Amino acid sequence: MIDNSPPVKRSCGGQPGKILRQAAWVGVIGVAFAFLANQLSPRGLNPAMNYFPGDAKPSTVPAPAVPPPTSGGSNVPPPAPSSADALAARLKKNGLQLLDRAGVEELFHDPRRQENLIMFIDARNEDHYQEGHIPGAFEFYPYHPEKYLETVLTPCQLAGQIIVYCTGGDCEDSESAALFLRDAGGVPGAKLLIYGGGMTEWEAAGLPVESGPRNSGNLRNPVP
Amino acid sequence: MKRPLLPGGFTAPDAANVAARWLLGGLFIYMGWRKAIHPELFLKMLREYQMVQSTLALNCIAIGVPWFEVFCGLLLLAGIAVRGTALWLAGMLAVFTVVVYHRALGVQAAQAIPFCKVKFDCGCGGGPEFICAKLSQNIGMFLLAAWLLAGRGRAACAFYTRPSRAPRHPL
Repeated sequence: MIDNSPPVKRSCGGQPGKILRQAAWVGVIGVAFAFLANQLSPRGLNPAMNYFPGDAKPSTVPAPAVPPPTSGGSNVPPPAPSSADALAARLKKNGLQLLDRAGVEELFHDPRRQENLIMFIDARNEDHYQEGHIPGAFEFYPYHPEKYLETVLTPCQLAGQIIVYCTGGDCEDSESAALFLRDAGGVPGAKLLIYGGGMTEWEAAGLPVESGPRNSGNLRNPVP
Repeated sequence: MKRPLLPGGFTAPDAANVAARWLLGGLFIYMGWRKAIHPELFLKMLREYQMVQSTLALNCIAIGVPWFEVFCGLLLLAGIAVRGTALWLAGMLAVFTVVVYHRALGVQAAQAIPFCKVKFDCGCGGGPEFICAKLSQNIGMFLLAAWLLAGRGRAACAFYTRPSRAPRHPL
């Protein structure tokens, strides 16, 4: 016998009750899929971790860490002139100190840096770090601390001063990294200094920048 | 009058509906993937909205939304649970659109510029965008999701057709 009846349309949906049941299943399986994918992803987040230990409320108006380019970028305004004071106050509240470019430059040229008594930590992500960082700086992206902690912790214990920086502007990753090193890594807070201007200011000042891995020797604007 | 059939037995409207389903699915996979590969950036942007105070809830949203979008996109591409998925997408788009609109109003007020000149990265996966373009895109996607929810785009679903279970009459 041959069944010549037309195919029946089904299963992609139906009555409202059926759609809701279907949506419920999509929700349950989708959430399970999402958390499993996050677990398997090397860039996955830890749901229980506080990634913003500074607990600073961000500005309602988004302000980019990097000054906006003349075209193509976001047109949100640059940080207000008082942002350095606000940052200093916030860092002070969290037991950290703000360092300006002159102070950072002085420490960079200090001979103690060669003896690992002064240490730089870059709190930006790997792509930015590879693109260019302060020569000799260690990488410590606070969203994946487990990846970097082992490498960074021993030099942190040896160093007398640790300068932590990120992009600059409203970037809070340097603060998060410093607080993580202090609270979870046991690094004394008095050693930790935040360079608020960050990599943007450093590069704009024409100071030496190393690309690739740490101590790669690939320098832009080398020290004369 | 019978509609002309395209290769595969589809009518032209069927093909258009399937294209709409695949377009929406592809867009969600793209935008979800962009967020999923840098979940920490999405987390930071979510935090800027200041809508969720709990660390756990914020992290869960940053973890869940990107991959959930990818999952929904895959379902649409494959044609599985299309209307249930479309309901989720329409709901998410409605919420995202309202939230982004409110943030844009805040930016506009702070900068005193015309609304359509407001440009920022809403964390939607497409980078910095002009708000009017973003809202138009969201509305377009919402309409597509509503279209699918209404039962369109059902052709070429993975589980769309099967032989009839109606009582058979012997010849």
